[in-house]
Amino acid sequence: MLSINQRMAWRNLWRNPRRTLLTVAAIAFACLLLVFMLSFQFGSYETMINTAVKVQTGHLHVEAKDYQDQQDMRLVIKDPAAVAKVMRATPGIEAFTARANAFALISSKERTYGALVVGIDPEAEAKVSTLQSIVRQGEYLKPGDAEGALVGRLLARNLGVKLGDELTVLGQGRDGSIAAMVLTVRGIYSSGIDEFDRSSIQMGLGSFQANFSMEGAVHQMVAVCQGLGEVAGAKSYIAAHLPPQKSPSLAVLDWMQLMPGLLQGIEMDLVSGIIFYLILIVVVTFSILNTFLMSILERTHEFGVLMAIGARPGRLSKLVFMESLAMTLLGVVAGMIMGALVTWYFQVNGLDLGVQDVMAQYGITGRMYPQLSWISLTAGPALVLVMTLLAALYPTRRIWRLKPVEAINYV
Amino acid sequence: MAGKKLAALGLALALLLGMAAGAAAQDAGALVQASFDYMRGKASISTCTMLIHRSDWQRSMTIKAWTLGQSDSIFYITAPPKDAGNGTLKKSDEMWMFNPKVNRVIKLPPSMMSQAWMGSDFSNNDLAKSDSLIKDYVHTLEKTDTVDGKKVYFIKSMPKPRAPVVWGMQKLKIREDHIFLQQDFYDEDLKLVKSLTMLDIKPLGGKLYPAKWRMQKADAKGEYTVVGYEALEFKDSLPESRFTLSSLRNPRF
Repeated sequence: MLSINQRMAWRNLWRNPRRTLLTVAAIAFACLLLVFMLSFQFGSYETMINTAVKVQTGHLHVEAKDYQDQQDMRLVIKDPAAVAKVMRATPGIEAFTARANAFALISSKERTYGALVVGIDPEAEAKVSTLQSIVRQGEYLKPGDAEGALVGRLLARNLGVKLGDELTVLGQGRDGSIAAMVLTVRGIYSSGIDEFDRSSIQMGLGSFQANFSMEGAVHQMVAVCQGLGEVAGAKSYIAAHLPPQKSPSLAVLDWMQLMPGLLQGIEMDLVSGIIFYLILIVVVTFSILNTFLMSILERTHEFGVLMAIGARPGRLSKLVFMESLAMTLLGVVAGMIMGALVTWYFQVNGLDLGVQDVMAQYGITGRMYPQLSWISLTAGPALVLVMTLLAALYPTRRIWRLKPVEAINYV
Repeated sequence: MAGKKLAALGLALALLLGMAAGAAAQDAGALVQASFDYMRGKASISTCTMLIHRSDWQRSMTIKAWTLGQSDSIFYITAPPKDAGNGTLKKSDEMWMFNPKVNRVIKLPPSMMSQAWMGSDFSNNDLAKSDSLIKDYVHTLEKTDTVDGKKVYFIKSMPKPRAPVVWGMQKLKIREDHIFLQQDFYDEDLKLVKSLTMLDIKPLGGKLYPAKWRMQKADAKGEYTVVGYEALEFKDSLPESRFTLSSLRNPRF
């Protein structure tokens, strides 16, 4: 049962329905915007991460400790099959593959460049990275192709090679011996990430291992998970089940450790987003403060009468505060419901940014999918609630300063 | 009047001192040049073993080398058998590598010159720019000392302005009989990067010569490369045709 104060507050609200509705709408719209934009931002991060992960890095790596920092040829996984067994049993992992890397001189007829030679398992690689789909010219490596190589677009241009041309690779094997081979360009890939396209070639893992004296070892086991949410669980499962290997010991790294730059980029974007939201909230708060203040000034005469017949300023303040609270709650709840509905619609259907062709070229679908979460749903509206309630406190101060006789005569 | 005289005296003194400093620089420069000529000879044929040591492994290979003048050299790996026949030709600042398995010659791009040669602590630049010490640096004598009854010169070598150098400073120790004892390599921030020490000085190829050259990384005590001479012969000359790309392609050793 509502108290007399609550009933009075509710009635007062609807004495001027247009103003109340406008205020509620302002709060609701701010909340809707915050819910949607925060969800959209989170969704775009997930897309960004998945794209970066798919081009090459994967969600998780198992590699020798320090390999990430030193890229030393000798820091290997001696028994990749044992790691593969663990990965196969890990919940949440979608696919995995083995890779071996060596820095080598790549030489065409005319020119020589230093580049990373990556040994890949063509079948498994296709499930882990977008490599197969970004081969623009020629074809992807066939399993068992010992002489074929895929070359990055910019490296191919720098070397001046076309499909079918020969490349001489001169590097150093795991045992320090000289590794030399002649490879034929089977395909040219373009990931859109210049660094990757300028500085790498891909060849069959078996042939890589033979030429670089790897003795069956690899440098990385790369896994992709079903979603970002599964990464942490999969990481700890693998860490707990890693096959023992001494000097070097093995380590599991997730995408945040593998691509610290990406995480920093996301953090920076999030901070600039938060600054924007704070400005939005401050603007909304001031407009609401204005409405509250107006409603008090307008009712000076009414408050004077109420005080003359015995209402204490404390009771009037309480009344006004309850009116503000009711308005804010209405707005916030409406905003959250609408925000959730709008976000959910786009989460299901995707948001077409109109750049499909450009992005599709790099293995990204042009649609963005917002990610509704408890954080994106509640963080913005909660802040709006707190700020508007603080704003509601200010007008009540006026009530304490009212003198009944003056107030009654106030026009 | 007195002031003028004093000024003239000051000028004369400054000139004199300047000349003395110039002469010292020239002396140090001449000493480095003489030592370089002594160490390198007019031409040479040598066989040496290169031991690459790392904390958890080591590996050695045998190299046969021919040098001519200050800047030309050609060398082949003769052992282990797996790597035998791999050759490197160096002419002035350029380097080529030959691999017999794929039967190709590759010219080293400038970007690769700072990389390690065959995984050792010697970079391609150490080999290719061996005469850079003579061409690109100004040498000053820092002090002299007597070690084992022989005078040793301590020389600081700073790069000439705009010289295309790898090292920001080098410090040399040269014995009075023109034998290099030590060469320290510093980066642009004048931080020690690595040191080359010559050891085991004995008669070799008809003169006193250090038989062991040890390159030590400054920041990793467990990482070094030792080159030991097994045979060394100095010559007055070698045919130019030895130092050509076609010669590189046809290993003879």
